[in-house]
Amino acid sequence: MSWRSALRALLVIFVVFVVQDTLMVALRIDGAHPDLVWLLPVTAAIIGGPETGAIVGFVAGIAFDLVLPTPFGLSALVGTLVGYTIGVSTVAMDRRAVWLRPLAALIGSVGGDMLFAVLGAVLGQQQLVHVNVVAVFAVVAVSAVVLVLPVNRMMRWALSPSTGRLTLVPAHGPEGGLW
Amino acid sequence: MPKPRRSRRTLTLVVLVVISLSIISLDLTSRTHSITSGIKSVANGVYSPLRGGVVDLLSPIGSFFAGALHYGSVQTENEKLQAQLGALRQELSEKSYEDTQLRTLVALQHLPFLGSLPTVTAQTVEVSSSNFTLTVTIDKGRSDGVDVGMPVVGAGGLVGQVVSAYHHTSVVQLLTDGQFKVGVTFGDNVTGTVDGGGPGSDLTVDLVPPHTPMHDGEELFTSSLEGASFPPGIPVARIESFHTISGASQATVTADPIADLSQLAYLDVVQWEPAPSP
Repeated sequence: MSWRSALRALLVIFVVFVVQDTLMVALRIDGAHPDLVWLLPVTAAIIGGPETGAIVGFVAGIAFDLVLPTPFGLSALVGTLVGYTIGVSTVAMDRRAVWLRPLAALIGSVGGDMLFAVLGAVLGQQQLVHVNVVAVFAVVAVSAVVLVLPVNRMMRWALSPSTGRLTLVPAHGPEGGLW
Repeated sequence: MPKPRRSRRTLTLVVLVVISLSIISLDLTSRTHSITSGIKSVANGVYSPLRGGVVDLLSPIGSFFAGALHYGSVQTENEKLQAQLGALRQELSEKSYEDTQLRTLVALQHLPFLGSLPTVTAQTVEVSSSNFTLTVTIDKGRSDGVDVGMPVVGAGGLVGQVVSAYHHTSVVQLLTDGQFKVGVTFGDNVTGTVDGGGPGSDLTVDLVPPHTPMHDGEELFTSSLEGASFPPGIPVARIESFHTISGASQATVTADPIADLSQLAYLDVVQWEPAPSP
């Protein structure tokens, strides 16, 4: 793992976290606000593969768990699964396709929110499934499609060290390539 | 794809999932909850000033756009509030005598009157950081005497309860959150439980016997049952609708919060803790 990439990825996670916690929570439509947390593992997975996606999802989830009243570790678990799943699903696709990032962002964000609510309910947080589902998913979906591009740009910068590899993990196969 | 690489990434996934589940387990176990709570507290202590700085920096920009978009409605609302303020000032001067009498009566009955309980006034610094929970973060924490479980009032009635207390900040779960419950009383010593319905939903009042006499707009107050989580007499909600389905074991009652939950800039945390069970 490149320390430079790891530090840059941490910086990107922190910036996105602050933007989410200050700007995004204030942008409410019918009580729902955009959710940037899942865009971090989604973009990391598309750029660096399933393993990188899972690691970024875990770290980003832990960061968001620090300010959420939900069980500590729940966002980390969902972030890990979102990053890994998006990475595995897109590994055989043409990653330069213009539709890939918006589509992955939409599926990853809405899927992440659904998984978060369901796992939370399983852990005794019944309030997580008592939400205005239409408003939450609509706002999260639209904002994910729009905001994936700047987040992707930041994540690409974070994962592009001097070696030219876009990943947080050592490359022994095709995933280490520059997409 | 080479097999070792696939097995390594599977191993990474398994390790991260196991760590996540272990952290969740630590957080949900009462014996070890203090560990995760302590981590959150330290992180909040470090992050809160930074967040405040960023919000201070960005809020004029946000206010500019919000003001430009809603100028007309803000002006109308301001005029209405000025009129209400005048009426309330007049009402306040008329009520001081009645308040004195009420305090005396309550003291005679040995009931803890909210006015005599110590409170900590706090400012709201953040509203619901998640789409799935209804909470506000206030700028007072353990160092100011705020602790988990303390009731929070403001905007005309009960607002919620402190669910997390850090060094300088606390998280308040609003009474509309789906996880919130409070025992209430109304009418002729009828008791029930108000459950938060979640975002956009009415409060529901459970455990009310069928065909209990009540009326629309009737106020529900925190009950004085032994071991209750709230001091008695705090206005909680007003009945919005009620009916009893034939054969049901309880009435179906919905209610609206008395507190105006859109006006939560300042709140009072009541420094009250339930009496320990004998």
